[in-house]
Amino acid sequence: MDVFVLLAGCAVGVIATLVAVKVLESRRASPTLGGEHASDVSSEQSLAASQARAHRLQGALDAMPYGVMVADQNGQVLLRNKAADTAGSDAHNEVLVQAAVQYNLRSALRGEARTQTVELYGPPKRVVVVEAHPLDPDGAMVTVEDVTERFRLDAVRTDFVANISHELKTPIGALAVLAETLIDETDPAVVRRLADRTVNEAHRVAKMIDDLLELSRIELSGDLIVSSCDVGLLVVEAASRNSLLARQNKVAVDAGDIDVGLSINADHAQITSALGNLVDNAVKYSDANGVVKVTAHLDQQGVTFVVSDNGIGIPSHDLDRIFERFYRVDRARSRGTGGTGLGLSIVRHVANNHGGSITVESHEGEGSTFRLYIPERLVPQT
Amino acid sequence: MDELRKSFHHDIEDVRTELVHMAAFVTEAIPRATAVLLNGDLEGADQIINGDDEIDARALELEDQCIQILALQAPVAGDLRQIVAALKMVAEVERSADLVCNICKAARRIYGHSLDPTLRGIITRMGEQAQQLYIAAIESFVENDAAKAAAIDDMDNYLDALQKQFVQAIFESHAAGRIDLQVAVQLAVVARFYERIGDHAVNIGERVRFVVTGWLPEHRGAARFRSRADDSTEMTRPPSLGSSD
Repeated sequence: MDVFVLLAGCAVGVIATLVAVKVLESRRASPTLGGEHASDVSSEQSLAASQARAHRLQGALDAMPYGVMVADQNGQVLLRNKAADTAGSDAHNEVLVQAAVQYNLRSALRGEARTQTVELYGPPKRVVVVEAHPLDPDGAMVTVEDVTERFRLDAVRTDFVANISHELKTPIGALAVLAETLIDETDPAVVRRLADRTVNEAHRVAKMIDDLLELSRIELSGDLIVSSCDVGLLVVEAASRNSLLARQNKVAVDAGDIDVGLSINADHAQITSALGNLVDNAVKYSDANGVVKVTAHLDQQGVTFVVSDNGIGIPSHDLDRIFERFYRVDRARSRGTGGTGLGLSIVRHVANNHGGSITVESHEGEGSTFRLYIPERLVPQT
Repeated sequence: MDELRKSFHHDIEDVRTELVHMAAFVTEAIPRATAVLLNGDLEGADQIINGDDEIDARALELEDQCIQILALQAPVAGDLRQIVAALKMVAEVERSADLVCNICKAARRIYGHSLDPTLRGIITRMGEQAQQLYIAAIESFVENDAAKAAAIDDMDNYLDALQKQFVQAIFESHAAGRIDLQVAVQLAVVARFYERIGDHAVNIGERVRFVVTGWLPEHRGAARFRSRADDSTEMTRPPSLGSSD
């Protein structure tokens, strides 16, 4: 609220100054109104001062991160800052934002402050808050603030708590139920089946704890254990970690197309873990007889590992969230695939630790391609 | 006279602005409807379906505005084309909004059925392409850009191809027993809705070309018809009428 009082103050100041400048200019233009010569000099000075003041205030408004517009009592916009001009990037989004601005402005001109949250589906998705305040004695001001990032972070926070409790509670709940059933069960065949499932659930919890520990290790350890790693070996190691799963799912992992002798300065354990997770995902979300391709190529800044599959793909509205801890595209399905929801989060941290990046491109039904980029001075071996 | 014309051009500008607002509303509704369909979001479906009343009301109002300008100002040449085109375009936009609602209604009918990733992928692409067409239509209208308007037709070919691909994917999914007949039919209709939205965007583009150049693609067909009619002047009766013998 303080900000708005300040803004309103600023805006009123600017208007007052701009009006003063206009009046002085008109006086200068018509000397008959200006009076004697001495007053002309002083008005000359105060004109310059006013202009400087107006410039400073306009500069201050322009430096603000969100759009500010001030209108007179007829709704005519008197001034707008730079951010107000770029509030909507696309033509049709801009039109919708401007419609909201006009709507709220009319309400403020009737003396009623109003706030509206406009959600735009985009793409890209954007959330804009439009606030309108009446000004004294008349006119109104409207601010336009892009709160997309804040909305996203809120969603991440609330979903995280919901997801972690879901992921931890489900296997533990299952263990409790299975154990209770075992107590009264006498049929050896049923006991055997229940015991098997108990072991599976226990393994799931163990895997989850392993992943959590690995994630916290990668998150916390500032220092990388950097050594020169052979890129081909890294990929082979990551692929072989998943060879059993790949055989079970009848998915072929093709890691043949990698330049021999490429090496990179990086943390061996972290990169293998990241690549292992990417290949693991690619195998899990491929259909039977699918092919997972792993390649690595070198450019001037570093090495990009590319893991691509022709599996089920990722819905577009989930794409920017899959690197969050415990985020699941489809909970029902991922229970079946046995992941912990931490794999891609680990990959993202590994990329960050190395100053690199992870990007994804995916279409549902066509497959996904992950690109892990590790910047490094490369030492080509001879 | 000068004063009168000023307010007249102001009126035309108002009509254009309102038309752009309505079209932007539809452009925004297309990805929303796609999300409703893919996520089974019944609440979102209700929102969009209720929102259509606003578009209907605005379309009626805009039509009245256009008719009033025609009646009171008797515009000529470019101004006349603007108003007549606006009258046609408002109907296209209004119909597109209905189609978006139809997608949401279909989403209600297939609620609870899961779809193959392939089907979901093509739905996503059809939604994106239909929206791209609409964005291009709005931009060409705002900028009076006949070249951009002409490009919309080519963009529509891709949407048509997606629809065909989608129908094929529905057959495969149904044959494999992953969706039942009811869902298959609903999906085929949904594909048609997206395709029709694209067609309306193409029509808007054609009207933009008409405003700028005074030419419509239908002129080609009309010319063919006239030349055929000229060739057959010796015929005693029009060929289209039924014969009794």
